[in-house]
Amino acid sequence: MIKVNNYQDLNESQKEELKKIALARVQVMPRDLNVSVGSESMNKNELIKHINEGDGIGESLMLTELEFLRDLASGAIYANE
Amino acid sequence: MSKTLLVTRPNHDKTTNYLYYWSVLVIKEARKRGVDVYDLSGKKATKNNLDSYLKSQKPRLLFLNGHGDEKTITGHDFEPILESGRKEPVENTIIYARSCEAASVLGSKLIKDGATSFIGYLRKFIFGYTPSKITRPLEDSLAKLFLEPSNLVVIAIIKGNSVEEAHERSKKAMFENFKKMISTTATHEEKYAARWLWGNINSQVIYGEKGAVI
Repeated sequence: MIKVNNYQDLNESQKEELKKIALARVQVMPRDLNVSVGSESMNKNELIKHINEGDGIGESLMLTELEFLRDLASGAIYANE
Repeated sequence: MSKTLLVTRPNHDKTTNYLYYWSVLVIKEARKRGVDVYDLSGKKATKNNLDSYLKSQKPRLLFLNGHGDEKTITGHDFEPILESGRKEPVENTIIYARSCEAASVLGSKLIKDGATSFIGYLRKFIFGYTPSKITRPLEDSLAKLFLEPSNLVVIAIIKGNSVEEAHERSKKAMFENFKKMISTTATHEEKYAARWLWGNINSQVIYGEKGAVI
């Protein structure tokens, strides 16, 4: 599992791997759900576009995905119980 | 020092519109508890107005809603209203910034400018919402899972809790919502959106005097 908190700390191979993971996971995002990230309000298709383009919004979404998966795997999300 | 709350809440796009409406609940609670509220809503959320109220009213509590980045928080139509590149008149003020990334650079700069405490987010503040509820944000049960716990930062301070207690109560409320969102009884939308709330939990930080109260 990739262990970084900053997208720029990833090497190109890791960025590609993370993009694949994020794109695969976003396929199951419900249609009746939008997200506000910074100044952008997005539906599923717009979110996919940002991840594909790897812009600032896309980077934020990918890192959020990575953090969630990492903390699920490590059990950190249950640490506050 | 009088118990005074200054709020900025522009509403020029979908994101700020949600924050605009959800901030009303904080304002109501403050007024109910006898706190003087100065409300820079919509087009009134400008740099000139903010500076004017900060200097003349010297509010103990400043609640900022809007877009932002590491060095800036904006008001109406993305006008920068707080910036790390200038000295801001925030002496003796407790600040909660419901805005992206402001904790990264701006938050600690505001403490250097004299703010008592700062609560904000290191990364982007993210929330999920229901498209069909966009004209009625307060009826959006999905957005509520994100915005009600963030409102709690200010409400807890208004109720007399310290800044640190307010920060912890907010994070605890976020975590309670997060647990509901990953449970078997959650909707598909809630389960998917849980990752974004988890990001907010990890991104919310506190600077300055943790024991400060209004």
